[in-house]
Amino acid sequence: MVEAVAVASGKGGTGKTTATLALGMALAERYDVTVVDADTGMANLLFHAGLADAPVTLHDLLLDDADVAVDDAVYHRFGMDVVPCGTSLDAFREADPTRLRDVVAELARDTDVLLLDSPAALGSVSAVLPVVLADRVVVVLQPTVPALSDGLKVQEYARSYGTDGAGVLFNKVHDGDSVERIADRTERYFDGPVLASVPDADAAREARDAGEPLLAYAPASAAAEAFREAAAGIEIRDEPAEDVAARFRSAVVPEQP
Amino acid sequence: MRLPRGDLVRSRTATAPGDALAWALDADHTGYLVLEPADAVLGDGDDACVLTIADGVPRLAYHTGTERGGAPALADVAGAGPYSVDCYAVDRSALADVTDTDELTVSPGAPAERLAADSALAERTRVAAPDEWTAEPASPADPVEAFLADEERLDAIRDRAREEARRKAREWDLTDALVDGDEN
Repeated sequence: MVEAVAVASGKGGTGKTTATLALGMALAERYDVTVVDADTGMANLLFHAGLADAPVTLHDLLLDDADVAVDDAVYHRFGMDVVPCGTSLDAFREADPTRLRDVVAELARDTDVLLLDSPAALGSVSAVLPVVLADRVVVVLQPTVPALSDGLKVQEYARSYGTDGAGVLFNKVHDGDSVERIADRTERYFDGPVLASVPDADAAREARDAGEPLLAYAPASAAAEAFREAAAGIEIRDEPAEDVAARFRSAVVPEQP
Repeated sequence: MRLPRGDLVRSRTATAPGDALAWALDADHTGYLVLEPADAVLGDGDDACVLTIADGVPRLAYHTGTERGGAPALADVAGAGPYSVDCYAVDRSALADVTDTDELTVSPGAPAERLAADSALAERTRVAAPDEWTAEPASPADPVEAFLADEERLDAIRDRAREEARRKAREWDLTDALVDGDEN
């Protein structure tokens, strides 16, 4: 079985990468999880996962003349398989985002859950492709008007491409925020439940600086607990891996200009 | 809302109008801002929010597309950035002729809160506002709750996003991946 879930936000700074790795670690207690940094233009998952020096990354797999195997870019860390992306702008320019489809198809053959850390934008093919390819999307929101507004946009893009909602995750929530009061209305407009409300935490920033996912760095923190609660709310659907891999391979992806 | 013709003194494109609001406040600007989502600038839509400013403090808001005033006019452009933000100067006495009505009035900090999510700027604006402007009941109490309660506004954002997704899909040659193809 395998399901591809895009973790998206539509707005930078919502803590999407922290959330992706936290959900990945929590889901890894029940499933085989592979986390992919699909934010190929603004990659930062490598820093969160202690993979800043990874010799092979997703960028290498997206090159037209790629001479590395997908497995070469997969690192087993913190109980998950992690596929980081490089930060070189040149590599990003040379990378063919549409090859992500084949990479995802190959990864899908050997995992239960594929988490795609998606770009915080919708302005290009490479930015929108993770949402197009995924089965479902988790939208990471801060309880602010701009974040909700941009999150709604992501949600509508996902719907347009037939990608279901797995729920929304309020992140970086401050004491005075009114998440409890707005949860019902949020669920009215977003697909899936409000999975959790994750408090803003210094631990998240410290974890990033330490090159560790939050759940490894501060497993007992309130934020880590909230992420585990969110992961518990995501039931992974059972679909044969081969069917999913075949679907990714046949996914419509345009030729690059 | 009928406004006297103003002189264009500042024109910028920005993801949020925070800079323009801060500039107006710091410059004690009197006149109006025309805030137009970039999508509307490119298209032929009539989709701008006009915000009058007196001595740096926002007073009246009107949306030229929905013809709504006050907080709903702000909601009609909230989150629709990037914006083209044009600042016009108007003689103080001319602006005084524009009628303040409850339907058009916004609380002084509301534009900074709702359009730029900048509570510090909102607070600075409230401090600079005449007492009688801030004495009005703050509406809405919580901008996020008010946003989620504005069904018309949320539906408009979703409609716009849906149209944009389809338009971009055509641009990117992704129409076959759309759930219902491309009927347009």
